Amino acid sequence: MMNDNIKKKMCLNKILHNDNTVGYVFAAPFIIGFLGFTIIPILVSLYYSFTNYNLTTSETWIGLQNYARLFQDTRFLKSVRVTLIYVLTSVPLKLIFALFIAYLLTKKSRGVTFYRSLYYVPSLIGGSIAVALVWKELFSTRGLINSLFISAGLEKVSWFGDQKMAMIPLVLMSVWQFGSSMIIFAAGLKEISPTYYEAAKIDGANKRQIFSHITLPCLSPIILYNLVMQTISAFMSFTQAFVITRGGPNDATNFYALYVYNQAFKYYDMGYASAMSWVMLIIMSLITFLIFKSSKRWVFSEAGE
Amino acid sequence: MEGKAVGINFKNRASKIIYHCFIIVFGFIMVYPVLWMITGSLKNNAEILNSSLSIIPPNWRWSNFVTGWKGFGGIGFATYFKNSFLVSGLATFATVISSACVAYALARIKFRGRKIWFTAMLCTMMLPAQIILIPQYIIYNRLGFVGSIIPLVLPHFFGQAFFIFQMMQFTSGIPRELDEAATIDGCSKYSIFTRIILPLLKPSIVTTIIIQFYWKWDDFMGPLIYLNKPQTYTVSIAIKLFADASSTTDFGAMFAMSTLSLIPVFLIFLFFNKYLVEGISTSGLKG
Amino acid sequence: MKLKKLTAFILSALLITGLTACGSSDKASGANSEEAPSQTTEASADKTTLRMAWWGSQARHDATVKVIEMYEAQNPTIDIEYEFYDFDGYFTKLNTLVASNTVWDIFQLGGNFPTYMDKIVPVGEYVDSGIVDVSNTNDSFLSTTTWEDKLLGLSNGVNCYGIAYDPQLFSEAGVPEPTENWTWEDYKNACLQIHEKLGIYGSSKLDDFIGGASMGISQEDYALNFFASSNDKLGFDDPMMLKDYFAMRQELVKAGAYPDPGAIFEIKDIEGDYLVTGDAAMTWVASNQMPTIAAAAGREIKLATVPRKKADGPSGSTIQSSQMLCISKDSKVPEEAAKFINFFINDPEANKVLNGERGVPIMSNIRETLEAEADEAKKEMYSFVSLIGTFKTGEINVISPARKTEIEDQYKLLIEQVIYDEKTPEQAAQEIYDFAKKKFE
Repeated sequence: MMNDNIKKKMCLNKILHNDNTVGYVFAAPFIIGFLGFTIIPILVSLYYSFTNYNLTTSETWIGLQNYARLFQDTRFLKSVRVTLIYVLTSVPLKLIFALFIAYLLTKKSRGVTFYRSLYYVPSLIGGSIAVALVWKELFSTRGLINSLFISAGLEKVSWFGDQKMAMIPLVLMSVWQFGSSMIIFAAGLKEISPTYYEAAKIDGANKRQIFSHITLPCLSPIILYNLVMQTISAFMSFTQAFVITRGGPNDATNFYALYVYNQAFKYYDMGYASAMSWVMLIIMSLITFLIFKSSKRWVFSEAGE
Repeated sequence: MEGKAVGINFKNRASKIIYHCFIIVFGFIMVYPVLWMITGSLKNNAEILNSSLSIIPPNWRWSNFVTGWKGFGGIGFATYFKNSFLVSGLATFATVISSACVAYALARIKFRGRKIWFTAMLCTMMLPAQIILIPQYIIYNRLGFVGSIIPLVLPHFFGQAFFIFQMMQFTSGIPRELDEAATIDGCSKYSIFTRIILPLLKPSIVTTIIIQFYWKWDDFMGPLIYLNKPQTYTVSIAIKLFADASSTTDFGAMFAMSTLSLIPVFLIFLFFNKYLVEGISTSGLKG
Repeated sequence: MKLKKLTAFILSALLITGLTACGSSDKASGANSEEAPSQTTEASADKTTLRMAWWGSQARHDATVKVIEMYEAQNPTIDIEYEFYDFDGYFTKLNTLVASNTVWDIFQLGGNFPTYMDKIVPVGEYVDSGIVDVSNTNDSFLSTTTWEDKLLGLSNGVNCYGIAYDPQLFSEAGVPEPTENWTWEDYKNACLQIHEKLGIYGSSKLDDFIGGASMGISQEDYALNFFASSNDKLGFDDPMMLKDYFAMRQELVKAGAYPDPGAIFEIKDIEGDYLVTGDAAMTWVASNQMPTIAAAAGREIKLATVPRKKADGPSGSTIQSSQMLCISKDSKVPEEAAKFINFFINDPEANKVLNGERGVPIMSNIRETLEAEADEAKKEMYSFVSLIGTFKTGEINVISPARKTEIEDQYKLLIEQVIYDEKTPEQAAQEIYDFAKKKFE
């Protein structure tokens, strides 16, 4: 009897503390949510991408037509180009900027915490609709930016009327919200052991050498993290274009996510919109994969040493 | 010798002053748009649209706050604020708890299928939200949750990919030796989570609280789709109600309410600010 | 341990702030939301709940809520749950409701109502059964909301498009004021001359699709429409009919007499329109916006007709419904919804509150009472709408097929491409024709 009980208990304990059990107990919330509120909707949208579903009438199966249509849709091709330009300009600028400010703010000096908060403010409220309206105002014909241009003896720029310029306010708005990347960089910078710096100083390295041979490699895992996160969110940016430029002029800022939204909720072309988001998912996975793949070459890991 | 020291001192001082000036001036430029919006709440439409440069309001029109606070159709902003607090508070709490659990599993436990779930999580991060909106809505509707705050809060109990990923990053920075030592002391995997990982995750949790709170606070699409009584609207919907292009917009009142809407976000930030960076770098190493 | 305290603290802080906000500063609505559920559970046996929604501005929200309260006071068994949004939000929301078959009992629709045909219970059924009274209006008003011989809803007000202008600026520039049958050529010359003399834009933004395409085609011939009346194909077959408008827009922008896309983009609302700010002498309006624009400008503003292609040709203008209230197929109490719509349209007191903000009321008795109390700008609006009513028209199709939005966006895109010299007016005209045609295949 006793023995049996103990055996049972031990057995139960074994099961309870088995890695598989522990893993699934802790991962359970995500797995349930993922199956229920992500996987089912995703499959539904995959199904719709092969139909001509338009919300009001029931759908019919049209096979690959939606996908074929994508490659003839000039607005779609332009939106891919525009989004890529946006990602390739805004992400590096934002990261360089965030790193620069984070580096400046590592100095042990009075007020650093205050400064850091100051620079975090744009990220903190950047998502609000009011800020987007303010941004529009800053770049308007009589706005702050143009007034500065005039006082510097330059020509006024029609930011939202010039196809080549319209992207700039959006990129700047994204760069302006560099706060969260900065905070993460700042944390990374603090973690670099001072012994490295001291060793380098003894070897007679100058500031630039220290930065490129010590700071950057030590920071590389964090750069990777920020790069991946910012690339993903840049690909999906929607609100800025939706509120500030509405995709114009002449589709110069018609971001992928905005075009998907318009196809779905403005033109009611749900099937086509679903196909578009699947293509987007594939493009993004590919790029993330490439970043991770390349990271093996440039990310310096302590464990590897 | 003496003179040289003074020289260095002076040089140091000068560079310090330059450093501070640069940071302050630059910071001012950074927050200028925000200041412009805040002071815009004390201007009327003409003053906002015609003199977009000046920060200082020509007349201090506090009345904007009074008109704005009244809201629409007899429902004031007090209601909208209350709703926003409820949704953002609950969602933030749920995100922290659930994401920490999931991050622990994915970062520390070697269970079967871990890689698949990790990939699944990365995929959800990349999924454009607009497209699963309709199927998701239909599911919530079948469950009878539409019209309540459940669809806005429920997903947060299942972990949020972005925060899981972030917490995983920080967890992997916590030395495994700590786990091993605890195991030798007789700790189970469950108590390792509550006694070691969770306390050391604090900086990451603080970051999550700040970011999740203001994301939820600013969220517009979710409340728009799922709330259907003006009594349950959140602040972000209410602010958008000021701007309807087919008629005139009271920018003063809109900016006044926008300014108020930023206060909770600022408070949360100010309160946790000191944990943010200092915490992130020290906790994992020093324990 | 520390962490636990921390989380506990945050939580309690959040809860406290949440609760106090509810408890102290907002007694009225706090009480409301607490009582509301108990009310519905207790009263559900004998109370009927109607769900209603609309889009619009603050003034509209306030007035409509007042009318709802009036109705509830008169009909204690009815409880109306209302929702209001801005335009974009309204349609995003409506689409999700359509997808889940839970559209509000009473909902507001504009010219795009054929998209939602499957969701509408025609109000005509309740006219026949005597619940809805249409004795004070006539067929020309009812036809604005009739589709496939069914009266789908009742218009909240009728409208027509026009050009608002500043007579003072016209006389300063030495340009004669528009006549009833002025042409696009006159419009163009007026723009150019005003720009030359005064240095401002001749005209602020037009509604390009209505002006250039839908009205533009109807101005060619009484028998033509951009979208055929059946709304399943195009109502014309010569793409070059669209060319002149593209060419005119290009010429005016290049001359600086019309705002470029960036400047157009900066118009945020009526108050920011270049006519209101004095930077332009004309702008496009819907007649129900006239009182707002005149009030915003604070100086004399007059209304002219939309220019024609030929002075002796068709005007292309017609009276149309600005929005209507519809009953949804998802409603379990369509009859109660119909009763409310009847009240909304016919009750004199309710309409005093609504005050023609959605357009000129279709009921003659209501129109007379409101007209008697109207100010200058409103009088201009009323007389303008009656003037348009006297114009000879063909069968003008004011209803937009489901595909219209997409075609309209493409049209606007092409205008920009013509302005940026990426396409000639001929190419653009041909391209929009082909694009639109393809959408009906």
